[in-house]
Amino acid sequence: MTLRSNLTCLLLILLMLFFNPFAQPARASGDPLPDTPFEQIREQARGTRVNWYMYGGWAHVNAWVDTFVAKEMKQRYDIDLKRVPMDAGVFVNKLLNEKAAEKKTGTIDLLWINGENFKNAKQAGLLFGPFAGRLPNVRQYVDPGSITHDFGFLVEGYEAPFGRAQFVFEYDTARTDTPPDTVAALKEWIMAHPGQFTYPQPPDFTGSAFVRHILYAVSGGHAPYMAGWDSDLYEKNAPRLWQWLNQIKPFLWQKGRTYPRDSAFLDTLFARGEVALGMSYHPPHAQNMIIEGSYPDTVRTFALKDGSIFNTHFTAIPFNAPNKAGAMVLADFLVSVDAQISKFQPENWGDFPVLDMKRLTLSDRQRFEAVDLGPATLTPEQLAKTAVPEIPAPFLEALEQDWKTHVLDQ
Amino acid sequence: MKPSHPAAHILFLVLLFSLFALPAGILVLVGLAPGWRFPDLWPEQFSFAGIEFLITHREQIVSSLVSSFLYSLATVFVTLCMCLTPAAAFARQRFPGKRLLEALVLTPALVPPMTFAMGLHMVFIKLSLADTAAGVVLILALFSYPYMFRALVAGFQTMGEGYRVCARNLGAGNIAIFRQVELPLLVPAMIAGGSVVFLVAFSEYFLVFLMGGGNVPSFTGFLMPLLASSNRSLAAVLTLIFLLLPILLFFMLDWGLMRSYRKKGMI
Amino acid sequence: MSWTSNRTAILILKLSPLMLPFVVLFCGGVFLTVCQSLGLFTPLPHTGGLVDAYTVILSDPSFFASAGFSFGVALASAAGSVTAATFLAYRVWQLPKMMAGAALVYKIPLILPHIAVAFVVLVFWSQSGILASLAHALGLIQSMQEFPNVLFSGWGVGMILAYTLKGTPFAMLLILALLVRFDVRQIQTAAMLGASRSRIFFSIVMPRLAPALHTSFIILFLYSFGAFDIPYILSESRPGMLSLHVFDLYFKHDLARRPEAMAILTLMFGFAVLFIIAYSKTVTRLENGVRKL
Repeated sequence: MTLRSNLTCLLLILLMLFFNPFAQPARASGDPLPDTPFEQIREQARGTRVNWYMYGGWAHVNAWVDTFVAKEMKQRYDIDLKRVPMDAGVFVNKLLNEKAAEKKTGTIDLLWINGENFKNAKQAGLLFGPFAGRLPNVRQYVDPGSITHDFGFLVEGYEAPFGRAQFVFEYDTARTDTPPDTVAALKEWIMAHPGQFTYPQPPDFTGSAFVRHILYAVSGGHAPYMAGWDSDLYEKNAPRLWQWLNQIKPFLWQKGRTYPRDSAFLDTLFARGEVALGMSYHPPHAQNMIIEGSYPDTVRTFALKDGSIFNTHFTAIPFNAPNKAGAMVLADFLVSVDAQISKFQPENWGDFPVLDMKRLTLSDRQRFEAVDLGPATLTPEQLAKTAVPEIPAPFLEALEQDWKTHVLDQ
Repeated sequence: MKPSHPAAHILFLVLLFSLFALPAGILVLVGLAPGWRFPDLWPEQFSFAGIEFLITHREQIVSSLVSSFLYSLATVFVTLCMCLTPAAAFARQRFPGKRLLEALVLTPALVPPMTFAMGLHMVFIKLSLADTAAGVVLILALFSYPYMFRALVAGFQTMGEGYRVCARNLGAGNIAIFRQVELPLLVPAMIAGGSVVFLVAFSEYFLVFLMGGGNVPSFTGFLMPLLASSNRSLAAVLTLIFLLLPILLFFMLDWGLMRSYRKKGMI
Repeated sequence: MSWTSNRTAILILKLSPLMLPFVVLFCGGVFLTVCQSLGLFTPLPHTGGLVDAYTVILSDPSFFASAGFSFGVALASAAGSVTAATFLAYRVWQLPKMMAGAALVYKIPLILPHIAVAFVVLVFWSQSGILASLAHALGLIQSMQEFPNVLFSGWGVGMILAYTLKGTPFAMLLILALLVRFDVRQIQTAAMLGASRSRIFFSIVMPRLAPALHTSFIILFLYSFGAFDIPYILSESRPGMLSLHVFDLYFKHDLARRPEAMAILTLMFGFAVLFIIAYSKTVTRLENGVRKL
């Protein structure tokens, strides 16, 4: 009797705690006004919780956020950071839903976002801002010229820079001696090695980027697209891309009948040796996987000589974020020298910094230069040689839409 | 005429183990050997990275486990409240349309839960129930109550009317009969239904994702990105943890019940 | 008169804790799904006609491919689970008492969430998986490409395996619940009268188990038909399961395509209800036929 009633009591108390809104750290209320000094915003954010919604498919990135970022946020600003794994397309949709239901107070404070998701969110009025220009670290360390556009779409301060990435391929030197480093050579290689290559199914971020590389290569580089959406240009060039992709299709993994669902799935195939080439939009990804034990030590990376696409990824704040002050403090911290260096270290993540090295103090610059990216990662100089910009978002959306009908269903 | 060879029985047990327990055993290996690749039958190298991950992420793991545990328990409680008196009515009373009604109330467990959950989502957002534990519990209860209902109806039926009549003859009122006679007798049925409801709620991913919006921590939500990632060893380690908690729970439940029955001299 | 109405009132009161949520939330939810499929109450004002979403879906051949595929996967996995569970449960029931405890391992997949069961299938059955390694060690295959392409054959075998692994213990649970109440003497009598083992199983045991078999088949079939968790991990690009298609339409596109997602859900709901009715009608008719014989 006593045992059971004690247990019941305990459970009831637990349940009440669970549903008690006060059990969680307070959520700051009120939007920070445009002229509020940042010191005051930090003060306002003290003792609050920030929900950061982000892609959750990379264990090492998750670990970096949960340990380094969460610990520093707690120590420096007394902010509890909660990472929530969710694909960018899904949280944009969630916000659309909330906007349509006129929900004034949502649950998301900060988003990890870029590209077409940013464009859609900004166009639908889902974002709070402009705020990037108010973050001290952005003003001090970031070259404003480097963050004006995101996939050809004007940023206008609605997102704060977070990291830089460039597309690379991965191969195992124990298995492949010389990887094909041009688009033409890649095609020959794929045809000579049936079943050894595949790419994640667009709209996966990485797979979609792979397709854009081929588009650039078969239609004269990136330059023609930079002027923005042009349906004639798209109609003229897209068929060449579909032709290229359909030509390699019978030589792909599973004969192109099915594609990996996302880049993590391709990583698994590559890690387990089912395919011979991997790809990533993050240059140090292979090194991360080696450190983690998922890839063999013999994996190396290369970039296509025809051009390898780079981008900047950002953080943004939703219109109905309950804790905008906390979100701004977090976005600002992520651009700080300490966070960017920690993020740059391959054992943490290896994501490239968004800071303008010329604006740093000598000692800070040396800290960046001292980071050893590991043998599997290309040097920034090697990457810079092949770097080409991202395509404007409308092209990307058209490609992702049409890939299904022109390639998958063919 | 049962096959009585002990060897046949042992062979069968081996089959049962290799079907249902071996996967869990292999997960231990996968968890300890991130680099285990074809064609090695046994991992070449072991690493404790998975265990380290558990230690560095203990707060998150514990909080998502606790959250999953609590909303599942709350779901059991809600389904119990929903089903107790209707089950009694269904077990004991005759009324027109009973068969049809019984078939109707069982449908939520049968039709794909997406079909009503997605329709409700918009309303839950408007009512501010979306992204809250209450919303998650409601949607889980709506999908799992038929298991509780079935168990309770069966419980009332096995109990029969005898105890009730006897207690009434001894002068007990309705409430006293319910609390002191029927409720204790129903405990096994409640546990049977409750365990199924608990497991259904505890292992559900999609409905919690939809209604919780990432704001209600859940162990399945924590596990999903890892299962989909290329780091199989982490996924395996966490899956094993997932396995342990309910097993422990059911052991404790069994043990606690036995003790309390013994005390009361019911066994 | 007032006595009966009083009784009715009490009955309604007793049923209300169940009927209220059932009507408001379940029926309401389905109603809203149907409404949104017609373009009513959608988050964005819908400009087209009422049945636009249905026209779009029903003119898309890939919808029918997905529907047929979902049906096949559900049918195969439910039939597989129920068959396997019947034999396994019967054998578990026959175990001597001291071994019966060990048989409880069958409950393990019951505890694992669907997503984890899918993961187990991935670990075992991929071409670089545990079974491929085993086959290699036994000298059956020389390279991983020779291992049967289970997960990506285009037939959904991976999903069927996962659903079967998860569904078998569930069906066993229901079957064993009936078996423990089963009178052993019936079998002993039949054996004394000279019935063979298979005869005993099919003529005496199976009919007793029928209710559990039917229930578990319906539950498992409809669950696999409409669930999202396992396909999310094991599905191929094409043909996709319906639930994945709905998920993509709901979450990965703008809100303009919401009615299409809802229309698919409405069709799935209609199918599920029709299936339940048709199945129970058939079962009743068959059983009546048996009784007449």
